[in-house]
Amino acid sequence: MSLFSRFRAKRKPRVVVIGLDGTPYTFVRRALELGRMPNFARMLGEGAFRRMNSVHPCVSSVAWSCYMTGKNPAKHGIYGFIDRKPGTYDTTIPTSRAMRSETLWEILSRAGKRVIVMNVPVTYPPRQVNGVLIGGFLSPTIEKAVYPPGEAETLKRLKYIIDADPWAARQSKDKALAEVNAALESRERTLLHYMDNEEWDFLQCHVMETDRLYHFLWKQMATDDSVYAPRFWQVIAQIDALLGEVYDRLDENTTMIVMSDHGFCTLKYEVYINHWLARRGWLVLPEERPQRLQLADVGPRSLAYSLDPGRIFINLRGREPAGQVAPGAEYEALRDEIASAAMEELRDPETGVPMIAHVFRREELYHGPLLDQAADLILAPVDGYDLKGAMGKETLTFQGDELVGMHTYDDAMLWIRGQSIAVESFSVTDVMPTVLHLMGVPVPGDVDGRVLL
Amino acid sequence: MAEQKGFTLWFTGLSGSGKTTLAKAVERELRQRGLKVERLDGDIVRQSLTRDLGFSKEDRDKNIERVTFVAKLLTRNGVATLCSFISPYREVRARSRAEIGNFVEVYCDCPLETCIERDVKGLYKKALNGEIENFTGVSDPYEPPENPEIVVHTDRETVEESTAIILRRLTELGYLEAEAGEVYSEEEETAVEERLRALGYI
Ligand SMILES: Nc1ncnc2c1ncn2[C@@H]1O[C@H](COP(=O)(O)OP(=O)(O)O)[C@@H](O)[C@H]1O
Ligand SMILES: [Mg+2]
Repeated sequence: MSLFSRFRAKRKPRVVVIGLDGTPYTFVRRALELGRMPNFARMLGEGAFRRMNSVHPCVSSVAWSCYMTGKNPAKHGIYGFIDRKPGTYDTTIPTSRAMRSETLWEILSRAGKRVIVMNVPVTYPPRQVNGVLIGGFLSPTIEKAVYPPGEAETLKRLKYIIDADPWAARQSKDKALAEVNAALESRERTLLHYMDNEEWDFLQCHVMETDRLYHFLWKQMATDDSVYAPRFWQVIAQIDALLGEVYDRLDENTTMIVMSDHGFCTLKYEVYINHWLARRGWLVLPEERPQRLQLADVGPRSLAYSLDPGRIFINLRGREPAGQVAPGAEYEALRDEIASAAMEELRDPETGVPMIAHVFRREELYHGPLLDQAADLILAPVDGYDLKGAMGKETLTFQGDELVGMHTYDDAMLWIRGQSIAVESFSVTDVMPTVLHLMGVPVPGDVDGRVLL
Repeated sequence: MAEQKGFTLWFTGLSGSGKTTLAKAVERELRQRGLKVERLDGDIVRQSLTRDLGFSKEDRDKNIERVTFVAKLLTRNGVATLCSFISPYREVRARSRAEIGNFVEVYCDCPLETCIERDVKGLYKKALNGEIENFTGVSDPYEPPENPEIVVHTDRETVEESTAIILRRLTELGYLEAEAGEVYSEEEETAVEERLRALGYI
């Protein structure tokens, strides 16, 4: 670094954000009490540490899209990991191309800030920034994941790993841990490389490994499994060490933020919403079943269908190619009927308690020009019941897969060094304008989030 | 980030030939790529900027003159400016081209019969009944461009096809970054779906 840039770097406000995917506030509190996060413990008092809401539905693609745009989904267009192609029964995986909004790092780039962004969901394919962007876990190859393309060489040299392999992780808990640990090491190595060797005003590193660890081993931790709970905590120690490494590198002008996008809990049951819709006669599936049923197999007499997680679409005339339900009164009546039936009928098979906490009509959650693309009803589950969109399942609920953890809405977390948070209740959508504020860059008028300080 | 190079995409063609439809479709694509975009449309501009003008030759010229002025300012400030105006006179379009600079003319080629059949706004019916004077194609001439940068045949292309033609040509002309290939190859798409399935996300 030249003398001049060193001087400049000292005076400009900088921000570094570490995203710990799916890490619950309440879990971190407990880890701190148990002495499992000594580095974060010494950092904690220097800033504000608060519980934060996610968004509905609380999956990473939606939550991080709301974070990076500061907007609700009806303004950025990302409603899930899977979506319908408008006017068809074909499904598609939304990527950064489907994101209809400027992102935090694009706004900072425009303001002349240099940014480094690593591994945030829904950033593949990489869009241009003033700096470096490494796409998230759905990037197919390192070459295609990076902007500018020249960075691929650096990443290969650093033995960068895009994501833990979830199929390997499903084979055994040992394999899951090996995958997670390898990806985490590569993440830390790459993060520190960029911190130390590149100039930046804004740096974001997304740790996906936490989410993977929780999906495959949350239950083992929660039940204090004699073999796997200690190994779970070893990964947490590694993450805590990473936070310490970053923290110790920062100067006075750099604000550090640690955040997650949703919480986690032990999964009790997977709940197949399409099974229920079919049983109620709202969804008609073909007699002859292909091996894996898809949305395209939905029968023409269907009135409704569901996509992950808990999103219900009405088969609406004029919107769906074989729409059955008339817009207006008929649509509203069916929405009402499904909503109240979901609250009443979707109950735990053993205890009989409701599995649905709330049913939202889309206009209750979203507002903006892309509202039309949203599901008509969004079911918010009680913690522990993971709502699934799989079709053709023979039962309503299922227990005992390799996936033992699931997401929760109201238990994300936010820590901001050197600041106090002035707002009582807030969500991931509010972090982005807060970052812009910290960096002295004006917040665009169409942003939904608020500055939290 | 490379500074965005401003340009004006000028859609010309008969009423109902697809100017507004394509300008909107292109706008969506450009925004998705993170470009700054403004759209100036005949029907909208005539309700504000040129509310005082009619459809005589003189007024049509004034309408285009004012729009050209605005497009020039936007273009030189790095905005992708999408103009959709019938703009029937060759000479007037040539003046806009000279004035604006980075000018890309898109001829929405569509037979008059098809436009009459579409009659998107019900204007042809009125014009053919003699209720509207100076209606382009019916009672006023339309002069097709001789050398447009882009021609789309909206009677035999879908909106998506016409849009793709425009975007490809803009890339060739250097106004758009070449897309770095497909998002996913077929194989990659399958792999990505399998990954999401393994995580229980789909
Ligand atoms: N390839 C195409 N490009 C543009 N419009 C098309 C195309 N094919 C069919 N159309 C239809 O033609 C009509 C064009 O109307 P509009 O865009 O309002 O025309 P204009 O703006 O030229 O008056 C729309 O109804 C549109 O759906
Ligand atoms: Mg028009």
